[in-house]
Amino acid sequence: MLTIKILGPGCANCKRLEEIARQAASDLNVTAEFAKVTDYNDILAYDVLSTPGLVINEKLVSSGRIPSPASVSAWIADAMKAT
Amino acid sequence: MDVAAFLVNALRGGLGNLAAYLAAHVLLCLLPAFYIAGAMTALIPKESVTRFLGRNTRQAVSYPAAVLAGGLLAVCSCTIVPLFAGIYKKGAGIGPAITFLFFAPAANILALVYTGSVIGVDLALARLLLSLAFSIGIGLIMALVFRSDDAAHDEATSQMFAAQSVKGMSPASLMFLLGWVAVLLFGTLKLDILTGSFLNGTLPLPGAQQFQALLDRLVPFDASKGEEGISLQGVILILLLVAIGLASWRGFERIHDGFSAWTRAAIALIGLTLLVAALNVQARPVGLSVGFTGKFFGVLFALAVLFQLGRAYLTDDELRDWLWESWRFVKQIFPLLVVGVFLVGVIRALIRPEWIESLAGSNTLLGNLTGVAFGVFMYFPTLVEVPIAQMFLRLGMHRGPLLAYLMADPELSLQSILMLCAIIGKLKTWTFVGWVAFFSTIAGLIYGAWVDGMSLGRVVLYFALFLTLLVLALWLVRHRNHRQDDIQAQTL
Repeated sequence: MLTIKILGPGCANCKRLEEIARQAASDLNVTAEFAKVTDYNDILAYDVLSTPGLVINEKLVSSGRIPSPASVSAWIADAMKAT
Repeated sequence: MDVAAFLVNALRGGLGNLAAYLAAHVLLCLLPAFYIAGAMTALIPKESVTRFLGRNTRQAVSYPAAVLAGGLLAVCSCTIVPLFAGIYKKGAGIGPAITFLFFAPAANILALVYTGSVIGVDLALARLLLSLAFSIGIGLIMALVFRSDDAAHDEATSQMFAAQSVKGMSPASLMFLLGWVAVLLFGTLKLDILTGSFLNGTLPLPGAQQFQALLDRLVPFDASKGEEGISLQGVILILLLVAIGLASWRGFERIHDGFSAWTRAAIALIGLTLLVAALNVQARPVGLSVGFTGKFFGVLFALAVLFQLGRAYLTDDELRDWLWESWRFVKQIFPLLVVGVFLVGVIRALIRPEWIESLAGSNTLLGNLTGVAFGVFMYFPTLVEVPIAQMFLRLGMHRGPLLAYLMADPELSLQSILMLCAIIGKLKTWTFVGWVAFFSTIAGLIYGAWVDGMSLGRVVLYFALFLTLLVLALWLVRHRNHRQDDIQAQTL
């Protein structure tokens, strides 16, 4: 079970990132709990310089850009191995 | 007055303004500017600048770094707000954060390029230089006024910025960015070697001149009032723009799933449009005369270099990020700009020049204050302030108050004030608003005096005098604070 957080105030980039992350999780048959972090104080707790940010199991894996679906899948697979 | 005729007149003003804008101003300045903005967002690693914004950085480094961050990294609110909050809470503190916040909307690449091509290079330069001086000035003032708060911040320090690993920008990315700047410069600079034609040809299209006459009837214009008509080339360019829009929608919207034929089509269309826009096309009785200008060859050369760089040296990830960010800017800003320009055209048909002239027709304190007040209380989407400023200029506003307006408007809007309140609190926000209004008025007065023919030496003298007074005042306040600190330290 993974916890995936999308950091961002709800701009177009954050929605796109969430879409990609959900797709990647379901492709890998991983059950994940998704959460959106929209409050700036909470977002800054993850040391991001610009949104959108992607956090998997409390680890920031990407920020400031939309990563490719392939790399998101790889991060999710890594996180699964670690647990 | 007949209501129907009045409405038709207003509608015509709006459509005419829009058509003239799309054909004349957008292509060679805004199109490359959007791609430059996209390249900056996608290809410049933010750490390369923000590592100079850490808690322990000296002021002589952190303020220029904040300016650099504002000019290079922040083109949209997705970056501005987190970076601002980060610099304030975990980085160098309130001063550099305010410097960053002031500089980013006032002097980012899109705003400067647009101002330069629509209103004039002199105003764009004034906007850049004065923003530079004032962003640092206001930053220093805020740091002094709220010194104690910053000290409290230091207690709970966090090393977010200093601890970053240093990632440089790859040479290919840098060349790619510079290539787009070259497209922009070739396309917009008004040098004889660029605007003159080297090769001329004539397409045998006998209907061309009738078509141009038809266009002039559809969009009537009065050159003496500074209005622009629409040319045959303009029509072709607008059609190409629509085609780019459609291809981009199909090709860039799903770009994370991979490059498609639509993506390639959109890229090809963008290149074609830039090239067509650089031609010198005139409708003549014998047909369409086409002049291959220096501009055309310059743009062609730069595009060829860009194509090679993009194909051979940039990674797929970089290209995808760049195209996506550029497309996002276009999607976010362009529709608002279109609506804004249309409304400006409608409003221009309604406002009487005498109103503007009596309020801000000359470089007075009242005129400048009016410009600032309008800028503070009106909210326009990004870049729409530029066509609005142009409207004021044509209606007789003096360039001094115009600059005051242009300085105040992008900094302050209800939206940005609310956002600021949430991060730094009400007191600091309103202090900031007050200082921006003050500085914008001064900026307008100084620039206006220069436009009115005051010698450059005296302008520089006044500006230097103003800065000296400011620095002196800052130094005095700081000196007194230090003495108080010493006294407190002794009594403790």
